[in-house]
Amino acid sequence: MNFRKHLTNQTSIAPLAVFRVLFGFIMLVSIVRFAIKGWIYDLYIKPEFFFSYYGFEWVQPLGETGMYVLFFVMGLAALGIMLGSFYRVSAVLFFLSFTYVELIDKTNYLNHYYFVSIISFLLTLVPAHRRFSLDVLRKPDLRVDTVPAWMVNIFKLQLGIVYFYAGLAKLNPDWLFDAMPLKIWLPANGHLPVIGWLLEYELTAYFFSWSGAIYDLTIVFFLLYKPTRVFAYAAVIVFHLMTLALFQIGMFPYIMILSTLIFFSAEFHENIIRKARQIWNKVGFKKPSGTFSTHKNYKLSKGASGVLTSLLVVYFALQVLLPFRFALYPGKLFWTEQGYRFSWRVMLMEKAGYTTFHVRNPETDESWQVSGYEYLTPNQEKMMSTQPDMILQFAHFLEREYQKKGMDDTEITAEAYVTLNGIRSSLLIDPTIDLTEQEKGFAHKEWILPYPKNEKTWLGSQE
Amino acid sequence: MNNFIKISIIALLGGLLAVLSSCTNGGVDDPGSGFDRPAMLNNYGNNLIIPSYESLKSSVDDLDAAAGTFSTEPTPSNLSELQNELKTARLAWQDAAMYQFGPAEMNVLRAVLNTYPADTDKVNSNIESGDYNLETLENRAAAGFPALGYLLHGIGDSNEEIVIQYTSDQNASNRMAYLQDNVDYIKESTDATLNAWLPDGGNYIETFLSDDNAGTDVGSSLGMMVNALVLHYERFMRDGKIGIPAGVRSAGVPRQEATESFYAGYSLELAIANLQAIKRIYLGTGLNTGDGLGFEENLISLDAAGLSDEIVTEIDQAIAALQDLNDPLSQQIENNNDPVLTAFQELQDVVVLLKADMASALGVTITFQDNDGD
Repeated sequence: MNFRKHLTNQTSIAPLAVFRVLFGFIMLVSIVRFAIKGWIYDLYIKPEFFFSYYGFEWVQPLGETGMYVLFFVMGLAALGIMLGSFYRVSAVLFFLSFTYVELIDKTNYLNHYYFVSIISFLLTLVPAHRRFSLDVLRKPDLRVDTVPAWMVNIFKLQLGIVYFYAGLAKLNPDWLFDAMPLKIWLPANGHLPVIGWLLEYELTAYFFSWSGAIYDLTIVFFLLYKPTRVFAYAAVIVFHLMTLALFQIGMFPYIMILSTLIFFSAEFHENIIRKARQIWNKVGFKKPSGTFSTHKNYKLSKGASGVLTSLLVVYFALQVLLPFRFALYPGKLFWTEQGYRFSWRVMLMEKAGYTTFHVRNPETDESWQVSGYEYLTPNQEKMMSTQPDMILQFAHFLEREYQKKGMDDTEITAEAYVTLNGIRSSLLIDPTIDLTEQEKGFAHKEWILPYPKNEKTWLGSQE
Repeated sequence: MNNFIKISIIALLGGLLAVLSSCTNGGVDDPGSGFDRPAMLNNYGNNLIIPSYESLKSSVDDLDAAAGTFSTEPTPSNLSELQNELKTARLAWQDAAMYQFGPAEMNVLRAVLNTYPADTDKVNSNIESGDYNLETLENRAAAGFPALGYLLHGIGDSNEEIVIQYTSDQNASNRMAYLQDNVDYIKESTDATLNAWLPDGGNYIETFLSDDNAGTDVGSSLGMMVNALVLHYERFMRDGKIGIPAGVRSAGVPRQEATESFYAGYSLELAIANLQAIKRIYLGTGLNTGDGLGFEENLISLDAAGLSDEIVTEIDQAIAALQDLNDPLSQQIENNNDPVLTAFQELQDVVVLLKADMASALGVTITFQDNDGD
């Protein structure tokens, strides 16, 4: 295989420029949608407690004004990416503001937010504004025709990793042999016209499970291979629109449908740019000045090249390895969720729970209970109830609350019942363990109870 | 290249068409194999929800009439009649309290009718000044059934003594006016909620039964019902009626005065009525009709009969644990709180089954907040 061809050889910048415009556009739409739905308030202003990520406790919401300003900056930066205006600053601002917001509260973790964060990180590394941009209109000297191939290919690689790992994650017995959780989710859509009736059949759940896994595992190869590309892209559209119709999945389908266009050839993207320019001219804007007769390459200095190479090697090594970190923990991944996030495990399980906290003040020997709703939003409570690390965080929060009231040494235990893919709800963590004595961190949490594999599933129980 | 563009445009349009056709209305004919969710919602809307509000309205009308009689003729026997009507209305409320979405949410019906414990200081200062607006937030605990309970039971040791407060006390006329205003306010909110549901009123029933809301997502009728039921059960049944007075939420210190009907002393009766109404919702038993399609049948259709049986068993155990207690609940808590805590625990066991197991099996997300998933 000719690595140089895919890394250092010069290739058209057009796919990168179009990708930049589409990504900026869909981000702008997402941010406006987010604001219109009132989620800035609901998710980042209203809650009184936030579930920080370990090591990122310093990332806190910025208060009402601060959060609105932050989202405004994020929106401006998305616009800057789309138009290619002050691109480098815009890309860095977007990456930082978006990632900051995502790090505030684990409750809101979504694989597609993670995807946005890392794509915007990759965008900060490449000169995607040197074609088809306001920056070029402003400074025609910036314009280049070709860039080193890796600048386009890192995005294909990243997309490939997303799909392939999402596919790998589906290779588990629940998904393949029990058609779980689709067996629960699909019939819930039985009211949909046209396809609704099909969703009532168990066979449909199996068909969707298997075709979903095959799609995720193979789509990137069909997108890379020119003769199959068009059909693969049609499959991308159908697959993502299907998920849009069936699940509450937000902007993700649109993001993927637009992002995967990057797999198409330089001519294809040149075509798009040409069409866009025709429209631009028709609308009556001034023609881009300059004639661009000379063909220009974009070349990095030796130093920059070296830095970027090592950065990207480390980055992609992490991307490849991180999803496997779950193997370092004992127990069933879906149950413990140790090493679950940041691994492209998308819509893999139906999990719900209910946690009651028992508090005892040893000084007075009084004990009482706390329900999540007293401090958390319904969404926070729902997410916490199934995830041990969040249960621990909330217990520590309660401990601090009682310390403020002068109770220095409360004991806090949690009775956390969880149902996973239809099993009878069972205790997730040891209800006798005083959580105030347990430490946060990446070490295995000994107090998580084993997955109750002998527990009967409710669904299909004949009594 | 042009070929490609054509094909991708066709694919895009085709995909969009598929999505649109499955999102827009196209008739909802469930096949025989699946569960008839629209029929279940129809049962809930027309046989449980609307009849519950109708029964509430008719008992509130009776309450209003009895208050009128009492104000023209303040006698101990008319007071006793009024007290009976209040109890009937409060029992009727137990059937309707679980539907705090749509019209009830718009009219903040639960807060208007049943915020307790009543703020008696506020009630008395309002009466004294004669200057109040019951619709304001600060008067929430000074209006509704609990405040009425105080006014009809809590201001004298006997009905004769209470009547004096409405006849010869220096604030007698103000007090009578306040009583009447409070009943009017209850009636307005009740009527507004019922009318918003009725086909010849706000016709929310049509929205509730529309194809657009026939799914299980956030904002669908089933989603709202399950969420409202679970929220009511957790906060207003388990905690409000039992847990909070028993001290479960107040660092173990009981708060007898926080019982639902502290002055009239039938808090337990109300709690049992409410839990039985919750069981009827689960089973899909209409208020005046028989058993129809409900969560029970829905779970059974999903082959989760075991879960369904367990839910019924646990609710029955909780009802039995409540029946082991005695009214007035405030005295039971004061004298012998342990059985109350046992009843709380029985109520707790049901929460897990409803909020985790049932919601999960039905594919309903427990959140009122519209949000993205991945």
